[in-house]
Amino acid sequence: MLPQFSYVRATSLDEALQHLGSEDVRPCAGGSDLLGCLRDEVFDCSKMVSLSGIEQLKGIERIGDAGIRIGALTTIAEVASDPLINRGFTALAQAAAAVASPQLRNQGTIGGNVCQKPRCWYYRGEFHCLRKGGGTCYALAGESQFHAVLGGARCYIVHPSDTAPALVALGASARVTGSGGTRLVPLEEFYVPPSTDPQRETVLEPDEIVTELTLSAPAPGLRSSYRKVRARGSWDFALAGVALALQFDGARVVAGRVVLSGAAPIPWRSAEAEAAITGRQLDQATARAAAEAAMQDAVALKRNGYKIPLFKGVIEEELLKLAGA
Amino acid sequence: MTHDGKDREGISRRGFLQSVGASALTAAAARPAAAQPSGAKQSAEADTLSRITLVINGRQRRMEVEPRWSLSYVLRERLGLSGTKVGCERGECGACTVLIDGVPRYACMTLAVEVEGKAITTVEGLMHGEQLGPTQQAFVEEDGYQCGYCTCGQIMAAEGLLRVEADPSLDEVRKQMSGNLCRCGAYPHIFAAVQRAAELRKGGAS
Amino acid sequence: MRDDRDRPYWIEGDVPHAPSPDQGPEPWGETKVVGTKRPRVDGYERVSGTAVYPTDITLPHMLYGAILRCPHAHAHVNAVDTSAAETMPGVRAVLSGFTPDDPVTAPHSEFIRTRLFHPHCRYEGETVAAVAADTPYQAWDAVRAIRAEYDMLPFVSDERRALEDDAPKLYDEGNQVGDTQRYSRGDVEAGFAEADVVLEQAYRTECEIHTPMEPHGCVARWDGDSLTVWESTQGVYNIQNTVAASLGLPLSKVRVIGHYMGGGFGAKLQPGKYTLIASLLAKMTARPVKLALTREETYLAVGNRPPSNMWLKAGVKRDGTLTALEYVGSGASGAYRAGGVSLLDWQVRDLYTCANVRTELTNIFINAGPARPFRAPGHPQCSWALEQMMDALADAIDMDPVALRLKNIPTISQARDGRPYTTTGFRQCLEQGAEAFGWGEARATAATGDEHIKRGVGMAGALWGYGAGGPPSTAFVKVFADGSVNLNMGASDIGTGTKTVMAMVVAEELGVDPDSVQIDHADTGTTAYATASGGSKTVPTESPTVRTAALDAKRQILALAAEELELDAASLSLQDGKVVPAGDPSQAKALAELRSLRRRRMITGVGHRGPNPADKVTCPFAAQFCEVEVNTKTGEVKVVRFVAAHDSGRVMNRLTYQNQVFGGITMGIGLGMTEERVLDGDQTGKMVNKNWHDYKLPTALDAPADMTCVPIDVPDPEANIAGAKGIGEPATVPTAAALANAIYHATGVRITETPASPVKLVQALSDAGKGA
Repeated sequence: MLPQFSYVRATSLDEALQHLGSEDVRPCAGGSDLLGCLRDEVFDCSKMVSLSGIEQLKGIERIGDAGIRIGALTTIAEVASDPLINRGFTALAQAAAAVASPQLRNQGTIGGNVCQKPRCWYYRGEFHCLRKGGGTCYALAGESQFHAVLGGARCYIVHPSDTAPALVALGASARVTGSGGTRLVPLEEFYVPPSTDPQRETVLEPDEIVTELTLSAPAPGLRSSYRKVRARGSWDFALAGVALALQFDGARVVAGRVVLSGAAPIPWRSAEAEAAITGRQLDQATARAAAEAAMQDAVALKRNGYKIPLFKGVIEEELLKLAGA
Repeated sequence: MTHDGKDREGISRRGFLQSVGASALTAAAARPAAAQPSGAKQSAEADTLSRITLVINGRQRRMEVEPRWSLSYVLRERLGLSGTKVGCERGECGACTVLIDGVPRYACMTLAVEVEGKAITTVEGLMHGEQLGPTQQAFVEEDGYQCGYCTCGQIMAAEGLLRVEADPSLDEVRKQMSGNLCRCGAYPHIFAAVQRAAELRKGGAS
Repeated sequence: MRDDRDRPYWIEGDVPHAPSPDQGPEPWGETKVVGTKRPRVDGYERVSGTAVYPTDITLPHMLYGAILRCPHAHAHVNAVDTSAAETMPGVRAVLSGFTPDDPVTAPHSEFIRTRLFHPHCRYEGETVAAVAADTPYQAWDAVRAIRAEYDMLPFVSDERRALEDDAPKLYDEGNQVGDTQRYSRGDVEAGFAEADVVLEQAYRTECEIHTPMEPHGCVARWDGDSLTVWESTQGVYNIQNTVAASLGLPLSKVRVIGHYMGGGFGAKLQPGKYTLIASLLAKMTARPVKLALTREETYLAVGNRPPSNMWLKAGVKRDGTLTALEYVGSGASGAYRAGGVSLLDWQVRDLYTCANVRTELTNIFINAGPARPFRAPGHPQCSWALEQMMDALADAIDMDPVALRLKNIPTISQARDGRPYTTTGFRQCLEQGAEAFGWGEARATAATGDEHIKRGVGMAGALWGYGAGGPPSTAFVKVFADGSVNLNMGASDIGTGTKTVMAMVVAEELGVDPDSVQIDHADTGTTAYATASGGSKTVPTESPTVRTAALDAKRQILALAAEELELDAASLSLQDGKVVPAGDPSQAKALAELRSLRRRRMITGVGHRGPNPADKVTCPFAAQFCEVEVNTKTGEVKVVRFVAAHDSGRVMNRLTYQNQVFGGITMGIGLGMTEERVLDGDQTGKMVNKNWHDYKLPTALDAPADMTCVPIDVPDPEANIAGAKGIGEPATVPTAAALANAIYHATGVRITETPASPVKLVQALSDAGKGA
């Protein structure tokens, strides 16, 4: 049962921003992540600012030649089924379709999905962990089955979003609006690793929200995909996932991004894997080499060693699939 | 002794003739006149009750709520619409599935204040008076349940699917029903029930 | 403490019965209603939302209860300050172990013999204080405002370490629950010496939590000195018994009602402390109180299938003869004495013919919630070990796994002094299941090809060591003046379709439409006595009882009709609400037109459950077959299809029978592939996955749509006068093992510890050099 909070439903972005600014005032988009955090008492909320009445933040539209703009309040289900996204940005459509469950896809928004809080069971549970201002990351000595093998430092969460790795792979940017104005942040630079600050996940300030995500027209020969391995068919976050956006010239990869989910505290762009495939024919040996390269710096905790062979397997499989597509 | 006399619209038992007015209208009328557009401004203090109007199964219901009250709490404990079940209160089981503007959502993860003016349909709203709707009928025919506690949520998820996809494939059925747990494990019968419901709906009758 | 290691669900022994066995009716020959495919008589209620489950109930002036539970794995409660909570808005009562005159200081149940709010908390989730308030939100606000002071104590979370010398102790006498249980027959050493192949292997199944869809909960209301409890339960009389004993009330002052209930699987055979807390809060406030546990609470405090550690050594001759089985098992009782190893060796003892068997079982305390019976206690775990071993033995002697099992089918219960089974359809299960599955061909063709997605098939056999049902049980069949019928029985319908089956039994004997039968059930205030629904015993217990009651009513009606029509009663039958003379159907007379019935207004038939045969054993048998696809790069397993062949005696309702089988398979998929309680054993001892996201039940995308039920529909007339055995539990026993065998067939890798998720499998494949 949720604790008390006051509530305001804004009718415009400006009105919403007027209410924001302190940590315990929480913007609410779809609410599926926020209500869960409040129920688990992960953080306080004195006032909830509902964004659901702000029509200008909803919908998908074409910009420029073949780019698109996705309003932050567009639901995950709308993203998954949108024809423009399915045509030009397959990885995003596949990632959105892999989120949570149908009902949550109907409720959750793309803005909320890229801003969601970690699903680490210590963070969500009754543990005063480092990320919540405590002294230790319980995953270090504890039950780390679903924790990071890359990019961990003091805190070993994995970033929970499926759409974020796809968006990073596709080179998306987030428009961030706050009381001080608006800025466009490449999504790749949107996330804060724990080595920088283990108590925040994104560059957002308390008075800021993501208002839209933009994607430029796909480069010629671009193919993209998202593949997620999970412990069961629905609801689950990724044990290991990989978003690919590769620009092909025939069988050769001209350029591309390989972004992992379930691997690190942020959507993890694997420069090593990208280097291993760029300029090469994407055959079995290249795929294998890229998979190995992606894991070359991986460090297992006590219970997540399986992720290393798992990532190698899923990266290799997905690279070959995209090469053959 | 189990009914408390609170309003349980349109859910009196088979064969017991009672007013059938309310629910007979609802299934057909997808979007009744909204009480208040969802964009309208609303604010509420944490510790006081504020007045809102919900549109449930085609009827406007004025009531006082706290901002934190979930739609499932309001439906079950304040309005007596106990067909909507609660299994987890954290969006992890689907027993509380209702349609909001025709779309399946978890009522436990939805604040009542957030759905002002939206069309809320619960399992009681699928009835035609004392008659079962076709999706409900299909679950009876195919034995698409065991203990029955997840069933109303399953039916609402199926209803939401069939309203947009009249003839779903088995794969589509499994995918769209994957937001509803059934611990008894009646899944194969549930799949059959959804496919049977598609037939009954095409037949235009239950 | 009482030694209750082998506690059955019910107390065995002789009870009065009528009619006496020698007057029992003949078994059914051809049946008209029984055995058909019948949608449920209460289907309308279940799909319309009108079925009222206990936690659906709202009563005028009702309050909501909430419980503060100990957040530590092991702690002593030094103080509880409820002063802030007491003054909060809407709060009507607060109760703790520090409330003056703690109203319940006696042991709260025969299962957990501690005070209601005991200061020594031996597991995370023990009750510390409770609140009643106007809304559940206010109740939880108040719970959050209670200040409890704890002394943290050392804890042990893993039963594999709990018997070590330096392990923290839950009790002065140590962490072992009673003595190690030992069983043996024959000469195991001689048996192994005789074998051509001897294999040994350790296995483990993780702790599984029941998590029925409806959380445990109740509504309690007092009328003066009488208490009414609506409880989500498998057996209203169990609840009545414990509540009355704990509160010092006569049974007649405790009415327990449980018409609908949202699943139990063994976790709802007994009340929780919450039932008493709700009753006390209702007494204190003079208002009804609803207390439904949160999902998180149900993970901690209302039972589990304990983790099981098993080691099995088996010997076999080249011709497939089993020569010896040696088995060592241990399991976690939890923090109190419970069935940590209940029936954990039963299938090793009794599923296959083997002259030389030795087993030992050790039950161990840990700082975690106590175990409760969970759908076939001990059996799916034992099956995980035994059936994988059978598969390995077959491999080792180059014999087909089905053939090896067929070679070793017993007709007697070796573990029950060699008493014969009333029936055993195990051979038919294996043969007809294999045939329906296309076993030979599937096995020959599945595991071929060098793609990284590998197909495999597997199977497992099973029995459930109970499932005969038995006395006591009573039912009444009331025939109204117009010939319509009311059935009165105490049994709960836990989702298995009990009401429907019993209406079919009544219909079979009285010639009425099952849908027309009014049913009163599961109410200690108004219905006859029945034991709780568990142990797959409801159909074999209640069907004979109800049949006897229906026959009693029928005999009385036909006697009246015979007198009125001046015909011999033996020449009359009941069909479609009419009395029909055998020689002249045109002379049929509607029951409503029988003057003598109209005068009496009602005929009441009474039935009791007769005893089971003294010198025989009744068990259901099963064999399940499955096909999987394994992605060897990722460890993902897709369950492609299942075929389940079950001998549970007469099939009473083909539709609900099949549903039970499919449900059992789905639950077995959960045990085998997705479910696992995770305790933070190295740091805090707390459960980290006490919710439906982190603890993973199979979803619609995990259970295959392609399931086939092959009923071995052979009535068992010696077992009881319905010829039925139980189906609920055997349906889940072999599933996980069949999956493990299929994964092995596909990959050559044996997963000996559940769950066979990508987490385990990808590592095992990688270690074996068979992965990416």
